[in-house]
Amino acid sequence: MSSLLRTEGLTKHFAGLVANEAINFELNTGSIQCVIGPNGAGKTTFISMISGHLQPNEGRIYYKDQDITKLNVVKRARIGIARKFQTPTIFDELTAYDNIELAVLGTDCPYSDRNKNINEVLEIVHLTNESDKPVKFLSHGQRQWLEIGLLLAVKAELLLLDEPTAGMTVEETESTARLIKHLTQEFQLSVIIIEHDINFIRDLNAPVTVLHLGRVLMEGSFEQVSANEKVREIYLGHGNANLA
Amino acid sequence: MTQRSEKQGIESAAIRSRNRFSEEKVAVIVFIIFALLPIFITGYPIYILPQYMLFGVLAMSLALLWGFVGILSFGQAAFFALGAYTMGLAMQTNFGVNSGYIGILISPLVGGVLAAITGYFLFNAGVKATYFVLVTLALSIMIEQIAVSQSDITGGWNGMYIDRMPLTFGTFGEISLFNDIPAYYAIFPVVIAIYVFVRWLATGRFGKILIGIRENEDRMTALGFNISAYKTGAFALSGAIACLAGALYGAHANFVAPSLGGVLFSTEVVVWVAIAGRASLLAALLGGILVASLSNYLSTITPDYWQLVLGIIFILVIVFLKGGVAGAISDLSKHLQSKVKR
Repeated sequence: MSSLLRTEGLTKHFAGLVANEAINFELNTGSIQCVIGPNGAGKTTFISMISGHLQPNEGRIYYKDQDITKLNVVKRARIGIARKFQTPTIFDELTAYDNIELAVLGTDCPYSDRNKNINEVLEIVHLTNESDKPVKFLSHGQRQWLEIGLLLAVKAELLLLDEPTAGMTVEETESTARLIKHLTQEFQLSVIIIEHDINFIRDLNAPVTVLHLGRVLMEGSFEQVSANEKVREIYLGHGNANLA
Repeated sequence: MTQRSEKQGIESAAIRSRNRFSEEKVAVIVFIIFALLPIFITGYPIYILPQYMLFGVLAMSLALLWGFVGILSFGQAAFFALGAYTMGLAMQTNFGVNSGYIGILISPLVGGVLAAITGYFLFNAGVKATYFVLVTLALSIMIEQIAVSQSDITGGWNGMYIDRMPLTFGTFGEISLFNDIPAYYAIFPVVIAIYVFVRWLATGRFGKILIGIRENEDRMTALGFNISAYKTGAFALSGAIACLAGALYGAHANFVAPSLGGVLFSTEVVVWVAIAGRASLLAALLGGILVASLSNYLSTITPDYWQLVLGIIFILVIVFLKGGVAGAISDLSKHLQSKVKR
């Protein structure tokens, strides 16, 4: 396994507020890394710097051993870094098929393969039967899947998923964990996931990075992290998650 | 499971293509009617219709921008007038070949380049749609003022006379377009050609990406699309088409005055497109033709109040029919289809 993404001393301040401080992070090809932490820990800031939506004050980002710190969102998307936003950011008025088609249009996929590629992606994200509906009529969970589908259709290699199971039912959450594991195993995609849902992280059984006040508090397996006193304290102190 | 989904994929593709071709069917019927019209009608309507068709093309240039990308422009008349002046200046110059052809070739370049430069700076600076509207408004005022002030070239308030070009075929001779019917059949095919070309672009990759930008700019950016480049391209195309339509209009009307590029006329174009429905190129084309005809008719029967009548129609459409008349027809047909299915 080789390193796909690496950050060195990534730092972001907002008018004196420390959002991220000297974050060193590494992700291997085909692996999943969860990033957790209470509200305000700097999770979304971190992902925004990787997607190019925010520029760091200090530090470097390397993707496939290339320094991409100065590249904008469009250029990072073109080299395979794609982001799913916290609230589904999709084309509400268009059908699921047309949504995926737009993403496929961003690739060099020839016209003759377009329909096939679109249907493949729809199948992977379980939306084949909904392909003709404007996506504003889809359930919240289906909309989240569709956005993941967009990232697949654009042939991203690094998926940045900001709370992919927010608003999902228990079954949908389990199904999403299966989907993400499938993507890493089948297509060697690499995934960074920001999550609040501890059950989802347990289902994924992936290594976890804990952020607290903009810094990396600890890294480790789900068991290690959930057994850690400090982590329990942060979460229980805020009272918004149950790690037991 | 796979088989089932495959079958559904094919079915959905069939539904999509059926929807896609319905506008084309209507277009064919409409164009046949227009092609046969000079057999049944003579005189003034046949003289004036080519000009209204060019108004329709102008409306279409706005629909491409407003309907597809979601950017409103109050500067379409500026490009139209620019085209007419370009044609006028071309006709005054001896190129050694038919000056009218030169005018037709140059005008879309002039309009396209002006729009591309304006769009490049505005869109790359990330200007919001509302400010873009103001800049296009300024563009209309500028073109009108330049046309007034540069009277040595443009004739100022008096306007510019433009010879009507003949159709020449090299050594094979020429056809005079002095009479109404030859002029009608010279302009009409060009209007069809422009419609077919824009429709082809709008239903293809380019048009789909423009719709994506209209629907969600953030998503398009995050998928790796350079949206300012696409917006600039759409505005340049829109400017080129408006300018070409203006050149043909100038050649047909034999005259251009500064008011053709003014804010008032630009506003009229917006009214046509809003009433007809901005999401459909054919609707915009017909909207230009029909609303301009209606304006003309109303201005003869009630010279004092015709703009008031048009204004009331405009307000009613904006309030009750969000997608314009075409949007209402499309919704109604979808509604009926779903009833038939049940």
